[in-house]
Amino acid sequence: MSRQEGRFQKFTLTVNNRSPTITFMKDGIQKERLKSRSNAISGFYQQTGRMPSFSEIGEILGLRSKNAVSKLVSRLEEINVLERDKTGRLIPGSIAYPVKILGTVEAGFPSPAEEELADNISLDDMLIQNRAATFLLKVSGDSMQDAGILPGDMVIVDRGQTPKSGDIVIAEVDGQWTMKYLRKRGDKVALIPANPKYKPIIPKNELKISGVVTAVVRKYG
Amino acid sequence: MSIQPLTLHSWPRAILHIDADAFFASCEQAVHPELKGKPVITGKERGIVSAASYEAKARGVERAMRLFEVKKVCPDAVILPSDYETYSLFSVRMFEILRRFSPDVEEYSIDEAFVDLTGLRRTFHGSYGEIAKKIQETVEKELGITVSIGVSLSKVLAKIGSKHRKPKGITLIPGREIHNYLEKLPVGKVWGIGANTSEFLKKFGITTALDFAGKDELFVKRYLSKPYQEIWHELNGRSVYPVSTESKREYQSISKTRTFTPPSDDEEFIFAQLSKNLENACIKARRYDLAASRLIVFLRRQDFSDAGLELKISRPTAYPAELMEPLKKGFREVYKPNTLYRSTGVVLAGLMPEKSVQYTLFDDVSRIEKMARIYSAVDGLSERFGKHTIQHGSSLYAKLQSQHEGERGDVAFRKTELFRGENRRQRVGLPVLNVKV
Repeated sequence: MSRQEGRFQKFTLTVNNRSPTITFMKDGIQKERLKSRSNAISGFYQQTGRMPSFSEIGEILGLRSKNAVSKLVSRLEEINVLERDKTGRLIPGSIAYPVKILGTVEAGFPSPAEEELADNISLDDMLIQNRAATFLLKVSGDSMQDAGILPGDMVIVDRGQTPKSGDIVIAEVDGQWTMKYLRKRGDKVALIPANPKYKPIIPKNELKISGVVTAVVRKYG
Repeated sequence: MSIQPLTLHSWPRAILHIDADAFFASCEQAVHPELKGKPVITGKERGIVSAASYEAKARGVERAMRLFEVKKVCPDAVILPSDYETYSLFSVRMFEILRRFSPDVEEYSIDEAFVDLTGLRRTFHGSYGEIAKKIQETVEKELGITVSIGVSLSKVLAKIGSKHRKPKGITLIPGREIHNYLEKLPVGKVWGIGANTSEFLKKFGITTALDFAGKDELFVKRYLSKPYQEIWHELNGRSVYPVSTESKREYQSISKTRTFTPPSDDEEFIFAQLSKNLENACIKARRYDLAASRLIVFLRRQDFSDAGLELKISRPTAYPAELMEPLKKGFREVYKPNTLYRSTGVVLAGLMPEKSVQYTLFDDVSRIEKMARIYSAVDGLSERFGKHTIQHGSSLYAKLQSQHEGERGDVAFRKTELFRGENRRQRVGLPVLNVKV
């Protein structure tokens, strides 16, 4: 079954089960509150795999009196959100199904947008792992051009990462700053350019690595 | 003579105070690695030292020293214009790092914070001293700046600790050692005790912090007001000031001051400076939903003497349009023709939540609401296109002329070395390393 069909089926399910979305429409202002309360109970059910007790419902929703909980339960029972078994314990009604209420669409086709957006990350999140340790740097030289890093590019530098062999690093070698591939073989360290015009650098006295390049950003226009 | 410890409990609470070393100068050294180990000074645009690196301090440079004096005592000092954008980014990052260690972080100032570490030894598998060391190392590794840390039983004591050894110091003051640190500390150096109070205490023979801490409660209650009673408790290792994690939303006052070079006696230009400060102060007030009921206007002459005036406002507000009249009035009183001025300042005081401002019988409600709509549009535009997209005409002269002419007019490299897509007002919110690679 394709994804699209699946979603459509779920939606049909919503209608058949007289979902809260539709029933609540009649109740005006109380609609929203009831919806959020049934969502909270549903959340508990989804997480724990069982229905909450009356006192647990009180705790989740901040209701102090059992009477209030009992009223709410009868109300939810009316609209089939939940049911009671013979012993009076709660069993899930329509909240048992992980039905997503898709935006404001109440009939017709669901909007795919709302459901998909939840899993998106921003460009920032993608490019930056540890924000507190991340710096920018404007590239001026061409020694890394074959690695796709050109003069004027913005590189993102993470100072918190421990540099590994093969990383592009920002380093200070014998008083000079440079950006190169780091290569470690045993206890030998070399900085390798990505441009045949330049020679590898083997630090004579001192090598200080001040960060690992994690991304390069180039904006056109 | 051995002194009695003030308390025998070592760590009923563990409060950490962190204080960045020569913060602005250190930030500059972090983004300009070639300046490490050199005397660096910030504040070029102000004409005085804002911050001096430890290398510069060692050469006799002090805070607030005039720059021409700096050139005499330390001719090779690297003097940079302030780059508050970068400093603020570093500040936020320092707090972010602290929150990795404890949720209870109080952002006390741009370069200082309190952290409540009580009960976290087990979590970090180490003593409070080891946690402090870890914090210091993380900040140095990720930000490239050094910090000094004090850990003790209360905020007042933690602050004494962080000052005790600087730069890059860690000072732990457990309960039974408090007295050793207070013994040689003049009482006036204690956080919250000013010159007046320390003079007053001297009348009772109290000169050191230990003298004060050792007084009995009866004395303290009889002669001192509540804030000092609290300090007395804190010095004795009884924490009364909580580490408050709420971000600073309450301001007593908001002030905006700007220096311009060269000094000017041009009435319109000076008023424009004032008007710009007013707009800036109002922007900040609106950001925090505050309204001001008093306005302070001041001008600083070329010889650093000040002239100022406080004005009452009929209706608390954060709209420059409503404050422009009082501002003009204040300016006319203070400004003297043929006098050279070097800076202007505006303070919004008597701040209250904007919501609690009530209309009076004589307010023109529709006019006020119209103004509210206008400024919410102005703020919306600023958010989208950068600050001061729309300005009052009265600020125009301040905009036409650059704030500083001549060599003081240098701007921080972050503002000139832009990436494609950035502009003078809006830049990517990450600090930029200034190395040629």
